[in-house]
Amino acid sequence: MKYHLITLGCQMNLSDSERVITVLNDMGLTRTEDEEEASILGIVACSVRQKAIDKVYSRIYKWNKWKRKKPLLTFVSGCILPADKEKFLKTFDIVFHMNEVPALPEMIKQYGIVTPMSLQIATNESNIDSFWKISPKHNSSFEAYIPIQNGCDKFCTFCAVPYTRGREVSRPSEEILTEVRNLVLQGYKSITLLGQNVNSYGFDKNGKEIQFHELLMQIGEFGRTSGKQFWTYFTSPHPRDMNKEVIDVIASYPVLAKQIHLPLQSGDNMVLIHMNRKYKLEEYREVVHYVREKLPTATLFTDIITGFTGETEEQFMNTLRAVTEFKYNMSFTAIYSPRPGAVSSRWIDDVPHQVKKQRLHILNDEVEKSSFEYNKSLMGKTLPVLVINKDRKGEYTMGLTEGKINVRFLSSNESMIGKFVNVKITSAAEFSIAGEPVLAEILEESK
Amino acid sequence: MEQVLTSIQKRIATVLEVRNLTESTYVLRFERVGLEFKPGQYIVVGLPGSREKREYSIYSSAVLPYLEILIKEVDTGDVSKKLKRLIPGETVEIEGPFGYFVLDGHKIATNDFLFIASGTGISPFHSFVASYPQLNYTLLHGVRTQNEGYEKDDYDINHHILCTSREDKGNFHGRVTDYIKKHPVDPLTLCYLCGNSEMVDDAYRILEKQGVPPAHLHAEIYF
Repeated sequence: MKYHLITLGCQMNLSDSERVITVLNDMGLTRTEDEEEASILGIVACSVRQKAIDKVYSRIYKWNKWKRKKPLLTFVSGCILPADKEKFLKTFDIVFHMNEVPALPEMIKQYGIVTPMSLQIATNESNIDSFWKISPKHNSSFEAYIPIQNGCDKFCTFCAVPYTRGREVSRPSEEILTEVRNLVLQGYKSITLLGQNVNSYGFDKNGKEIQFHELLMQIGEFGRTSGKQFWTYFTSPHPRDMNKEVIDVIASYPVLAKQIHLPLQSGDNMVLIHMNRKYKLEEYREVVHYVREKLPTATLFTDIITGFTGETEEQFMNTLRAVTEFKYNMSFTAIYSPRPGAVSSRWIDDVPHQVKKQRLHILNDEVEKSSFEYNKSLMGKTLPVLVINKDRKGEYTMGLTEGKINVRFLSSNESMIGKFVNVKITSAAEFSIAGEPVLAEILEESK
Repeated sequence: MEQVLTSIQKRIATVLEVRNLTESTYVLRFERVGLEFKPGQYIVVGLPGSREKREYSIYSSAVLPYLEILIKEVDTGDVSKKLKRLIPGETVEIEGPFGYFVLDGHKIATNDFLFIASGTGISPFHSFVASYPQLNYTLLHGVRTQNEGYEKDDYDINHHILCTSREDKGNFHGRVTDYIKKHPVDPLTLCYLCGNSEMVDDAYRILEKQGVPPAHLHAEIYF
């Protein structure tokens, strides 16, 4: 029996999907990319994004039409708002909270019956431990995402995550470290620790669990003692909890990548208050200064929302000034749109779409400038690059630097994929660099 | 930044008292059930097993054996209505504490504080004052009418200024923002603002113009 699974959302949803795939494969089911040949059709979605939800409805409408002609089972999971869950119960056969994935085989066996399990309102702590114990089926043989935490208790007003994934729960550090060690020993080169607020890791355990910088330190120590070359990333941290210890630890270990993703969201203190972000620009600036001091080669990524409810021109200009000051390498800039379930969805979305869009372009142009400047500074340098794939035309090999800058170079050697290669940088563009692989190309086999 | 306490543990607490302060505003007191918090933090409260829950700042002192929250019943709010109907012996489900609207422990004994509240935004300040008797504070409480000066006897009479916008019966007739315009604030004062968005926005801007640096401005909006 075959199943087809669609993921609509962020890296956290992709990571969730990897565990759903493991559970389905362990049932003896086979995954297919062709939805028409599948008997089980599933979606892992993010219902905090309206676009994702629109896609879910469009897909289930089609699938339910198919059900008139052939037997099919449909399910949906992910970050689902309670209101959406109620609607989905009418259109999908099975609706479950991601914590309930370990019980999915039982739900499928009971297909046709509305199970108490699928109707239950999930509580955050219910099955999260068994969810984490599922070994995910990673999509890549060299890049892996490891969830270290579930939920969020920051209650940013633009976000519904506390209402879809519940409150922050930290995964036991020993499980995380075991997963990291196993993956690295299998040859994984890029490990990303995932959570809504990774750097508040352990806070929910009130002293009974190590803190985030200690978790990083243990990964760093494993890297040092194993002699393996790999890069460890994390996303997303919250600026409020980005303490000096975290940055100091990153500076101390080569396996902790010198790349920081620090969501700004707005450069105006009043907007930050309205977003309930719990930091001021001045505090954010202190973190950036410390990053620049301790990690001088680090790249800096951010997230920004333009046109949040009530954002004035003056407030936007404060964001623009912040973007100019912090010289980001990349910004995931989004036009504000109210998300169902989030506090801000109750407010008037009063900034015209055209203005939001214009602000987004202005910010992106500014980031483009600073990114280009940084990339130009890399010219002439030889950098280790993790080779990811070939480009669409097959002419270039594509990779990422430690700072996650896209690199391309001419090479027909496909065996480099998933390995570290030294590349001499010869040219720079706004968001990418290009170069030539140097001799003794593949670096890590000796490690 | 000040470290805070947080916990995701859900607790069931028995209601000890519902104390009506006005027709629409009341204090709900329930068992503490081992919950540790820092004054200024909030908890999520609802009926046991219910999906409908709301965040409320803790109103009571950190040293008392029970918890209190200050609630204004709102027409559109299911939770505030249901909680008001509770009687002693019934239970609530609480989660938390959460939040960072707390005082820096090193500054409590050394700095001057200005607390500016509108309506039930006085709740975290009540907890501050009740928990830290040594605080040197001035509390501006913005309300419409004098009867909304919730439990004003709990504050030092010399440090509590009730600003009433719709009647001339408080200590100051007008909004809290009018008060701070007429009484400029020393930039060294640590200012904490809590309440509705309009008040917080306006007060923040006025204080900034008066030279209070961002590091001395802390705000929590009640949504």
